[in-house]
Amino acid sequence: MIYRVQLENFEGPLDLLLYLIKKNEVDLFNIPISEITRQYLEYIEIIQMLDLEGASDFILMAATLIRIKAKMLLPKPPVDMDEEEEEDPREELVRRLLEYQRFKEVAIKMADYESQRQLLYTRRYFDQHMEPEPQDWWDPKTSYTLFDLMWAFKEILQKAPKVTQHSVEQIPVTIDDQIGYILRQLDQNEGQLLFYELLEKLKKRIIMIVTFLSLLELIRRGEVEVTQSSTFGEIWVRRKRWTSLN
Amino acid sequence: MDVAQLKPVVEAIIFASDGPVTPKMLKNFIDESNGVDFEKVIEALNDDYQSSGRAIQIVRVAGGYQMTTRPEFATWIRKMYMGRTSNRLSRAALETLAIIAFKQPISKAEVAAIRGVNSDGVIKNLLERRLITISGRGEGIGRPLLYSTTPEFLQYFGINDISDLPKPREIEELFGEGKYVDQIIEALSSGDASEEPQEDNHQESETQNDA
Repeated sequence: MIYRVQLENFEGPLDLLLYLIKKNEVDLFNIPISEITRQYLEYIEIIQMLDLEGASDFILMAATLIRIKAKMLLPKPPVDMDEEEEEDPREELVRRLLEYQRFKEVAIKMADYESQRQLLYTRRYFDQHMEPEPQDWWDPKTSYTLFDLMWAFKEILQKAPKVTQHSVEQIPVTIDDQIGYILRQLDQNEGQLLFYELLEKLKKRIIMIVTFLSLLELIRRGEVEVTQSSTFGEIWVRRKRWTSLN
Repeated sequence: MDVAQLKPVVEAIIFASDGPVTPKMLKNFIDESNGVDFEKVIEALNDDYQSSGRAIQIVRVAGGYQMTTRPEFATWIRKMYMGRTSNRLSRAALETLAIIAFKQPISKAEVAAIRGVNSDGVIKNLLERRLITISGRGEGIGRPLLYSTTPEFLQYFGINDISDLPKPREIEELFGEGKYVDQIIEALSSGDASEEPQEDNHQESETQNDA
């Protein structure tokens, strides 16, 4: 028999297993492994037909269930009084199910928080405003990471004009050129600039990309440093030894 | 300045800001605010809004204060933003976020082990939405990247701090510790689970959650 449930409703094998346990009203601490396994296998037959990639996670769980059943069927060795009682083969599975269940419950409550929050509207569409200069370039509290830099770069690329016409041309641009460009830009602006200011004048995406790589290279060499004036703020780029190199 | 004098100043700053304003920022902006409990100022402002029937309120989010409309006006604002509303997170995304929120910093593999399903795609998505970030590398084989939640995560769920999230029920509550161990072992060995003690435990943990 096959239950009429949408398969995509299950987030994974643990989720499906929890559903079957609930559906059959069996006790989590005394799972009838063979019955649950049988029903579980019915599901993954369908899952396999639909989605081969995702099915592997489900099949792994099926193998686990069958292994547990096999273990339970094997005659137990006589209990040695000194040794501790052997663990029920279902125990590990129950532990995983419970661990998953905890977070599943939290996720459901978080969805409530999400809907509550989406009822509140904040002010938005602010004009571009003056970005405060960072007060302390080495403030450990600013949570600036390479990922922030990549993100800022992605946003700039998205704003860049899209070229729909395609023609092949060689664009003569090198990392060395763009290192020169970055340093010149910084020197013309008293040694520091906002990250997007550095890139917004460049028209071609390939030049933007090479410039970004050049910036990473300059950071690696320690000639340039990068920070954020606040957690949600823009990214600043600064020439590290710009006076001495002039 | 006392609370009454500070009120309009704080209101102006929070109104003009495009993100949450922390008490520390307020202190920096207002010289005459030494020793002031901004929480009192915010409360007074919210009382004003409430008693005069305004549509706005100040909420505590991501460690700061932000002005928002009140929930009962969402119906109309939603119409204004038609087509531009943010999508809800999928169940997979919420589960993954719940795990990361409580286990951070955590690797992809650890998330997948708890969910029992590959979570690479979900994690990539959450990174793009800036709800999580790469916060370091683990000690294990291959020094895997570790993930943590971001201030945007707090904003997204309208909470001030991770501790405002509903706590996951302790696994030990149900399994593996204290008096329940005996019941579980008994249930497993007799093949006949004793229903009642588990029922008790269940209810107990639920009331704890509500508190």
